Amino acid sequence: MDIVQTEPQSNMPVSAELTPELTRARKSQGRLIFERFIRNKVAVAGFVFLVIMSALALLAPVITHQTAHFDPANHPNLDIALVGPSLAHPLGTDALGRDVLARLLFGARVSLEVGIFSMIVSLIFGLVIGSLAGYYGGWIDAVMMRITDAFLSTPLYLVLFVLSIAFNNGKVSTVVILIGVLSWASAARIVRSEFLSLKEREFLLAARTLGASDLRLMFAHILPNAAGPILVTVTLLIGNNIITESVLSFFGFGLQPPQASWGTMLNDSQSYFVTDPLLLYAPLLSIVLAVLSFNLMGDGLRDALDPYMTQR
Amino acid sequence: MARYLIRRIVQSVVMMFVMSIIFFALIHLIPGGPTAVLFSPHLTKAARDNLTHVYGLDQPVYMQYLIWLGKFVRGDFGNSFVNGLTVSSEIFGRLPATLELLLSALAFALVFAILLGVTAAVRQYSLADYTTTVLAYVGISMPVFAFAIILQEVFGVKLGWLPTFSNQSPITDGFTPFDFFLDGLVHLILPTIALSLLFIAVWSRYLRSSMLDVVKQDYIRTARAKGLSSRLVFFRHALRNALIPLTTQVAIDVGGVFSGAVITETVFAWPGLGRLFYDSLEARDYPVLLAMLMISTASVIFFNLVADVLYSVLDPRIRYS
Repeated sequence: MDIVQTEPQSNMPVSAELTPELTRARKSQGRLIFERFIRNKVAVAGFVFLVIMSALALLAPVITHQTAHFDPANHPNLDIALVGPSLAHPLGTDALGRDVLARLLFGARVSLEVGIFSMIVSLIFGLVIGSLAGYYGGWIDAVMMRITDAFLSTPLYLVLFVLSIAFNNGKVSTVVILIGVLSWASAARIVRSEFLSLKEREFLLAARTLGASDLRLMFAHILPNAAGPILVTVTLLIGNNIITESVLSFFGFGLQPPQASWGTMLNDSQSYFVTDPLLLYAPLLSIVLAVLSFNLMGDGLRDALDPYMTQR
Repeated sequence: MARYLIRRIVQSVVMMFVMSIIFFALIHLIPGGPTAVLFSPHLTKAARDNLTHVYGLDQPVYMQYLIWLGKFVRGDFGNSFVNGLTVSSEIFGRLPATLELLLSALAFALVFAILLGVTAAVRQYSLADYTTTVLAYVGISMPVFAFAIILQEVFGVKLGWLPTFSNQSPITDGFTPFDFFLDGLVHLILPTIALSLLFIAVWSRYLRSSMLDVVKQDYIRTARAKGLSSRLVFFRHALRNALIPLTTQVAIDVGGVFSGAVITETVFAWPGLGRLFYDSLEARDYPVLLAMLMISTASVIFFNLVADVLYSVLDPRIRYS
């Protein structure tokens, strides 16, 4: 078969040949992911709830009129103990006469702080260990993965309780480190598997041929392409960390009373359920809604990032 | 397979050895240590020194570890600091209560997870499907202890229907064997529900998605084409293969059940291993704590291995080398 030399097409408008669908401005990958995420109503609801919750938590000192001499979340007044909702105390007061709404708002700060910062600690561990293991392979991979296995096989709460007795001084930063150090293993596995599959790709070979260093290959070339799955993992991790903090604080191994945290509030409310169920439901609902939102958002991100994901 | 199994077992033993060093060090980091909690402040210096010597706490930590390890590999977990009993007798004394709760929660969770998962998959996008989805999400987002408190307060305190503490009534005079059985059963209800919530939530989602994967396969179409009824196709052909991934997930979750058991048993004052761990923590009872950490880690490692083996046994396409 002869190769027919066609007329030079430069004089012909390219678009005329193509169907209208193909000429439409191509959307960026980010835009596509964003549009898929937006279409997922529950994930967006979770996101909106988290934005509102974060705003309330940030503004907690303003909303509750905190001053240098007045700590609204921890201002006992036995004269008004266990009164129901009123204008002055929209969610009522607890057994020590402290405003429940104020404690709830400051508890939200604690939950978000612990959730996010311990996630960052986990992420750092996960990134370092997972990327080294996935990129270098061989004995480095073997060693790193055995360490990860060890952390995966420790029973979380048992070790966490022992560690808390040994190290915990009731500070948020300590709780953050304790939770972060024990929960990075799953992140490390995800990072490793992403690095493993991406390092074989052609674009990496191209970058290597151009003389890019290992570090540059790992962090400028592989990491951005692995960002999606890692983002999903850490979003879900935040929710888990919030639960872990509440468990620790509830059992007295996390933040110490009178510090307001949703876990300590649940502990305080236990004896008053029959007369004041709100004391229990308020922090409980806060935990569930916050964790639920992170879970919905994480799953929404996962679906949005996966181009093959079909509706289920 | 045999070589794979041997390699995994050797790896597990090495892992347990490393973990034992970490746990031993960890326990000894607890400030104050057992002496601060156990010894009455009225003891004379001589009596204190004597007790420290009896417990072996006057040795350097690495010697204490080696002595402990030597006994541990021979099945001697040492003696409790609190009551002097052997740790193994303490643990075996608590084991029945934990097994009772665990098996009951496992059975309850499996039944409900399979029912919910299959319903959700068979009637995809139906009201039942959406309800299951919502319940699963809430179950996953709810801390176990918080759910346990709600159960306690609502069904125990407010309505007064069910007992909320321990595994039997404090007074059992004049109970017939049947009364004992019934008494045990009502005490079991709330802890069982509390412990199984997370399992039901996770497993039902898991089964739903594996069901949906399976029904897309060719052999299901063949079964339908043969003219089999929907019911037969779903339950005889699809469900059996859809249960394979669930089996491994169940094995893994059972291995990690101690974490959940500590929480559930502590909230419900259930006299099992989880409660023993919590009490030993308060009392700084090193030998019991160490044994509990080792046992729960061994359980995770063992059931992970079981999960992998089960997977290859149930699905002949999976082969390990």
